[in-house]
Amino acid sequence: MAYKYTLEILTVIAIGAFCALFLYTSATMNGAEFAGSDNVGSGLIGELSNTPLENFQPIIPQWEPPSTEIESCLFALQAAFGGILVGGVFGYWIGQTKKA
Amino acid sequence: MHIMEGFLPLHWCIVWWIVAIPCLILGMYQLKKVLATDREALPLLGVTGGFIFILSSLKLPSVTGSCSHPTGTGLSTISFGPWITAVVCAIVLLFQSMFLAHGGLSVLGANIVSMGVVGPVVGYMIYRLLRDTSVNIYITVFLVTAFADLFTYVMTSLELALAYPAETGGIGSSFILFMGIFAITQIPLAIVEGIVLALVFKYIVALKPDILIRLKIFSEKQINAARSDN
Repeated sequence: MAYKYTLEILTVIAIGAFCALFLYTSATMNGAEFAGSDNVGSGLIGELSNTPLENFQPIIPQWEPPSTEIESCLFALQAAFGGILVGGVFGYWIGQTKKA
Repeated sequence: MHIMEGFLPLHWCIVWWIVAIPCLILGMYQLKKVLATDREALPLLGVTGGFIFILSSLKLPSVTGSCSHPTGTGLSTISFGPWITAVVCAIVLLFQSMFLAHGGLSVLGANIVSMGVVGPVVGYMIYRLLRDTSVNIYITVFLVTAFADLFTYVMTSLELALAYPAETGGIGSSFILFMGIFAITQIPLAIVEGIVLALVFKYIVALKPDILIRLKIFSEKQINAARSDN
């Protein structure tokens, strides 16, 4: 029982430390754009292959969200789908436990 | 960790598809077998898969001044092994490549290998190493989750280094450069993901210990010991 909430406390500390680290980094790192590592990696590919990024064309044509707002909306949709799955199952399990 | 569409030469796309396809076939076979044996595994699959959907959609800032996302594959790896995890990851990555332009269909094989195969296989090896020891099950979940996340990005770095060796230093030098972008960014994210998913596992242990014992994820003794601490 002594360790009942250890994981909860550790989670709060970890998330707090993560936020503090971000605030420190953004305040001290001049020019940090916080772009996606995928894009930064693509930039390095361009450098290593001496090829301008616009020369990398899709091998299979790809639909792109017309704006960053729509992209954010679709990412939120993905997270929401996951959230519904997790919430639904935990609710089902809690219901089963209460019934038992 | 996504390699973007068009950024991997065609022959490397084919190589990684050849690696990914047998893993997916094995995963689908195992999934069918698990669900035929125990229907109660389906909700657990929903929860573990749900976390892959949630966590892989979160782009979080990191110490390197760039953003990256966790993978969320740890719980699925522990519960169902790496091959079923590869199937769930393939669904997530397919969604992201078709609707978000993150990744792409030609590079899907490479992205499945890093997020759905290599990360989970490394995590699963840690799980098998620690499962039958006296190590606390939440520490096991933390380590599996954190390393599955981190090695996803190590593998992405290797895939890119193999395709784009540096002029001086070759693949090794290129690997270090990509690791600097992908893997270093990922370290704080992997630690936080490990702690959060260990907490989620605690609630699964509290609510549904029987399924964890039936699927032989941990022994009854380990689950009961963990429940007595809750």
